[in-house]
Amino acid sequence: MSLATSARFARRELRGGLKGFRIFLACLALGVAAIAAVGSVRSAIEAGLEREGAALLGGDAELDFTYRFASADELDWMNEVATAVSEIADFRSMAVVDRPEGAERGLTQIKAVDDAYPLIGAVELTPDMPLDAALAGQDGLPGAVMERALIDRLGLSVGDTFRLGTQDFKLSAELSREPDSAAGGFALGPRTIVLRTSLENAELLASGTLFSSKYRLTLPEGTDLQALEADARARFENSGLRWTDSRNGAPGVSEFVDRLGAFLVLVGLSGLAVGGVGVSAAVRAYLAEKTSVIATLRTLGAERSTIFQTYFLQIGALSLLGIAIGVALGALIPVALAPIIEARLPIPASFAIFPIPLTEAAIYGLLTAFVFTLWPLARAEDVRAATLFRDALGTARILPAPRYLLWIGAGLVALIGLAGVFSGTWRLTLWTAGGIAFALALLAVAAIGIRWLARRAAPRAKGRPALRWALGAISGPREGAASVVLSLGLGLSVLAAVGQIDGNLRNAISGNLPEIAPSYFFVDIQRDQMPGYTERLENDDAVSRIDSAPMLRGIITQINGTPAREVAGDHWVIQGDRGLTYSETPTENTRITAGEWWPEGYTGPPQISFAAEEAEEMGIGLGDNLTINILGRDITGTITSLREVDFSTAGIGFILSMNPSALQGAPHTFISTVYADEEAEAQILRDLAGAYPNITAIRVRDAIDRVSDVLAGLAAATSYGAAATLLTGFLVLIGAAAAGMQARTYEAAVLKTLGATRARILLSFATRAALLGLGAGAVALAAGITGGWAVSNFVMDTDFTVIWPSAIAIILGGVGATLLAGLAFAWGPLAARPAHILRGRE
Amino acid sequence: MSDPVLSLTNAALSLDGNAGRIDILHGISIEIARGETVGLVGPSGSGKSSLLMIMGGLERATGGTIHALGQDLTQMNEDALARFRRGHMGVVFQSFHLIPTMTALENVATPLELAGNRDAFDRAEAELKAVGLGHRAGHYPSQMSGGEQQRVALARASVTRPEILLADEPTGNLDGANGSAIMDLLFDLRDRHGATLVLVTHAPELAARCDRVIRLADGRIAPATPSDSKAAAE
Repeated sequence: MSLATSARFARRELRGGLKGFRIFLACLALGVAAIAAVGSVRSAIEAGLEREGAALLGGDAELDFTYRFASADELDWMNEVATAVSEIADFRSMAVVDRPEGAERGLTQIKAVDDAYPLIGAVELTPDMPLDAALAGQDGLPGAVMERALIDRLGLSVGDTFRLGTQDFKLSAELSREPDSAAGGFALGPRTIVLRTSLENAELLASGTLFSSKYRLTLPEGTDLQALEADARARFENSGLRWTDSRNGAPGVSEFVDRLGAFLVLVGLSGLAVGGVGVSAAVRAYLAEKTSVIATLRTLGAERSTIFQTYFLQIGALSLLGIAIGVALGALIPVALAPIIEARLPIPASFAIFPIPLTEAAIYGLLTAFVFTLWPLARAEDVRAATLFRDALGTARILPAPRYLLWIGAGLVALIGLAGVFSGTWRLTLWTAGGIAFALALLAVAAIGIRWLARRAAPRAKGRPALRWALGAISGPREGAASVVLSLGLGLSVLAAVGQIDGNLRNAISGNLPEIAPSYFFVDIQRDQMPGYTERLENDDAVSRIDSAPMLRGIITQINGTPAREVAGDHWVIQGDRGLTYSETPTENTRITAGEWWPEGYTGPPQISFAAEEAEEMGIGLGDNLTINILGRDITGTITSLREVDFSTAGIGFILSMNPSALQGAPHTFISTVYADEEAEAQILRDLAGAYPNITAIRVRDAIDRVSDVLAGLAAATSYGAAATLLTGFLVLIGAAAAGMQARTYEAAVLKTLGATRARILLSFATRAALLGLGAGAVALAAGITGGWAVSNFVMDTDFTVIWPSAIAIILGGVGATLLAGLAFAWGPLAARPAHILRGRE
Repeated sequence: MSDPVLSLTNAALSLDGNAGRIDILHGISIEIARGETVGLVGPSGSGKSSLLMIMGGLERATGGTIHALGQDLTQMNEDALARFRRGHMGVVFQSFHLIPTMTALENVATPLELAGNRDAFDRAEAELKAVGLGHRAGHYPSQMSGGEQQRVALARASVTRPEILLADEPTGNLDGANGSAIMDLLFDLRDRHGATLVLVTHAPELAARCDRVIRLADGRIAPATPSDSKAAAE
C-alpha cells in the first residue's frame, strides 16, 4: 500500500472542508501565536538593545570601577585607545530641602558627570535646555537636574534650591530622558545629575564611600571590541575592572529580558498543552464521525497502515495550516502593536519579523500537534469493518499500539528537550513540564472521579429531574466531561498557580518582613562618625536594636589561584563586587556550621568566614583560598569557617567576613541597621542626616515598595501568559460544548416529547455545565495550590499560605466559563422541534 | 458439491457488551458452492447479518472455523482479512456506506486503488456505466438518490470482479421500484461475473430468486422448508 494512495484519500477527505476543525485550528494557532509573539517581542527588545547598545551604554565601551576612580595607568590606556573619554561617578545619597517646618529628605541615585557626558545620545530636559547649561547653575550655585518622582516627593520646583551632602544646588530642570539609564540596573532612588566638579565641597565622595566610577569611551571606527576587551582585561582585570561594550550595552536588562522571555515561553507552552487537549478532543470527535468511512475502507480492503496514514496526513496538513496561522499572527501582532509596546517599554525595541522565534514556535506547535493527535489517530486504525453494523469501537482497546506510545513518548522528550534548549533554563523547563504533567494527570483522574461521583449521585436525585438528567449526562459515555475538566482545568491551574505564587511572594516581601525588618539602612557612615551616630540611637527609647558593621566592597577574582569563574561558573557571588566585612568575634546571630572563627586579636595570614549555603553552591569549603580585589589591591585569605547567613530578615548579612587585621587598613565606611518604632523614624532620620550630611539612609519600607513594583510587573506579564492559556482553555470548552450539541439536541427532543418544559431542560443543561466547571475549578485550585506551595517551598524558600481571594476567583471563573459556553450552545437544542430531530434519526 | 467457496464449521459468535456477554450465533455449519446464490432469511435479531459478517471476515467468529476459497479466515489478522477481501470479496450494505467526501467514481475506484491497480479509474468508470451511472461519475453521494447510491455501492462491490459477493439487505432502504431494480442489477452482475452471492433479506420474493435459502432463528440454522431450495421448487 503506497503512501501516495493514502495521500490521495487524505486529500479527498479534506474536501469536507474545515467544518469541525475550527477549534482544532484555533487551539493550535493561539498556542503557537502566543509563543511566537513572546519570542518576537523578546527578539525585538534584543535587537533594540543591540541597535542602541552604544547609546544605552553611553559610549562604545565602558570600564567600571568600584570605590575608586581610574588610576593614571588606566586613564593613559583609555586616552590611548579612545577618541573621547567621559568619566562619571555613580552613588546613592540623600537630597535635602530645608523648610521652616523641617528638612525634607529623599534618597537619590546621583550621577556626577564631566563635560563630555553624554558621549552618545542626548539628555532630554524639561524645560528644554542643553545639559551643560542646566548643570552650570546660577546665582553662584551649581546646577542639577532631577527625575520627576523626586521633584514631586521633595515638593521642589525648577529654580528651587536643595542640598546634596554639604553642597547646595539649584534645580535647573526636570530630567525627562537619560540616554544611558537602562545600563544602570535596579536603582532604589530616582536619578539626580550634577557635575562631578560641583561635588568637591559636598563631602560625599570621601575615602571608603560606596560609589562606582564609569569611564565611557568613544572608539575609532572599526575597533575590534573583542580584542580591546581582552587587552583591557589582561592589563587591569586584577585591579577590579569591569568591562562592558556596545555589543551588549545593557547586560542586566538583556539578561532580565532573556530570562523573562524564557519564562513566558514556558507559560506559553502550558497554553499549547491546553490547546493540545483541544486538538486531541477535536481529532477524536472528527474520527468518531469518520468511523463509518473508516469501516467502509476496511471493508473494501484498506489495511490498518492505510487508515493511519490517510488520517495522519490529513491531520498533519491541518496542523500545518493551524501552525502557519499561529506563526503569522505571532509575527504580525507584535509588529502591528509596536507603537503601543514601544511606548510602554522603558528600553528600546526594534520590531520586525524575526525568523528564529517564529521557527521555534512552529517547532513547538508541530511537536505538540504530533504528541496530542497521535493517540486518537492510532486508535483510528483499530476501527473494524464490523463497526458498520455494530458499535464495535466501544469494545476496542483503550491504549494505542505500543509503537505509537513509544512515538508519543519520543515526541514528548523532544518537546521538553527543545524547550530546555530554547529557553536555556533546564531547571525551569523541567519544573514547568513536571507541573503540566502533574496537573494533567490530576485532572484526568478528577474527570474519572467526577463521572464516578455523578453516577453514584444520580439515583439520589430522584424527584429533581433537572439535576438527575445533569448527573446522568455527566456520567454518561458521550458527555465531554474529560475534555472540559482537562482543558478548562489546565488553564485555571496555571492561573491559580500564578495567583498563589504572586500572592505569597508579595506576602513574603511586604506582609511578613516589616514585622522583623529594620526601619533604615544607613550606609557610608565614616569611622569617626560612628561614636556620635551610635550615641544618638542608643539614647533613644524608640530604638530597639542597632546593628553596625564595617563594609567594604570587593570582587572575588580567584579561587585557589584559578580564575573564580573557572571554579564557580556564573554563580551570583562572583558576578561583580560584593559587600564584605570584618569582625573580631562572630556576631550575636551567627551560627558557625563548620570550622572555627579566628581567635581574638588574630594578626596572622588573612582568614575568611564564608556563607555555608553559597560555599556549597560554588563548590568551595574549608581550606580553600580566595583572592579578593578591594580597591585595586588583592587580598588572599583562607576559608577557616562556614556560617549560616539568613538574608530573609532584611538585616545585615555578609557572604564574606574576614579577620579585622586583614581589612582594617583599607579605606572603608560602616553600614548600620536601625530597628525603631515607626513614629520615631522621621525624627531619627532628621537628626542623623542633619548631623552627618554624607550618610545615606535607605528606608526599608520604600525599598520594599520598589521591589514590590518590580514584582507586580512580573506578575502582570505572567498573568498575560496565563490568560492566553485560559483563553485557549475556553476555546476548547466551546469546542466540547459544540461537539456535544447534537447529542443535547436529541436529548432535548426526547425530553420535550416526554413533556419537559424548555426551562427545565435549560436548568438541566446549566446544572451540568456548572457542576463540571465547579469540578474543573476545584481541581485547578488543588493543582494551583500544590504548584504554588512547591515553588514557595522548593524554589523561593518562603512560607506558604493559601491566598483565598485568588482561589475563590478561580473556582467562580471555572463555573462562569463552563456556564457561558454551555448556555451559548443550549439555544439550538432548545429551539429545535422534536419531530424534525426524531424523524431525522430514523 | 464441488469444493465449497465458503465453508463454516460449528461457527459461533459471542460479543461482550455493556449488558454482559451476548451469544449471537451458535454452531453454524454451512457449505456454499462456487456460483451458488444463497439467501439468508429469518426474523430480526436471528443473526443473519452477523453470519454474513463472519463470512466476510468483517466480524471475527468466536468459535468454529470459517473457510473462504480454501483459506481459514479465523487464522488471519485484521490486515490479512482486509487484503483477502479486496482480492476476493465484494460487500453491499443496506445503508450503502459510500464515502461522502468522494465522488461516485472515486468511491468505485477505491478498492482498485487499494489493490494498487494503475487503471483503477478507467475500470471504475466502466463499472459505473455498467450500472447505468456513467453520467453521475463526478457527483458526490449527497447529490444522488438512494437508488443511485446503492447502484454506486454495487459497482464498487463488483469492480474488482470478486469471487464472493455479500449483500446485507441491499434493498432495505429503497422503495419497491428501486429495490427491484437493484436486485435485478445484483443478480445480473452475479450472472455476468459468475460470483457466489450470499444475500441477507427479509423479502420472500428475493429469497425465492436464490438457489438456496438458509433460515436462521435465535442464532441457529432452522430446519429447511420445502420451498427453501430453488431446485426443489423447480
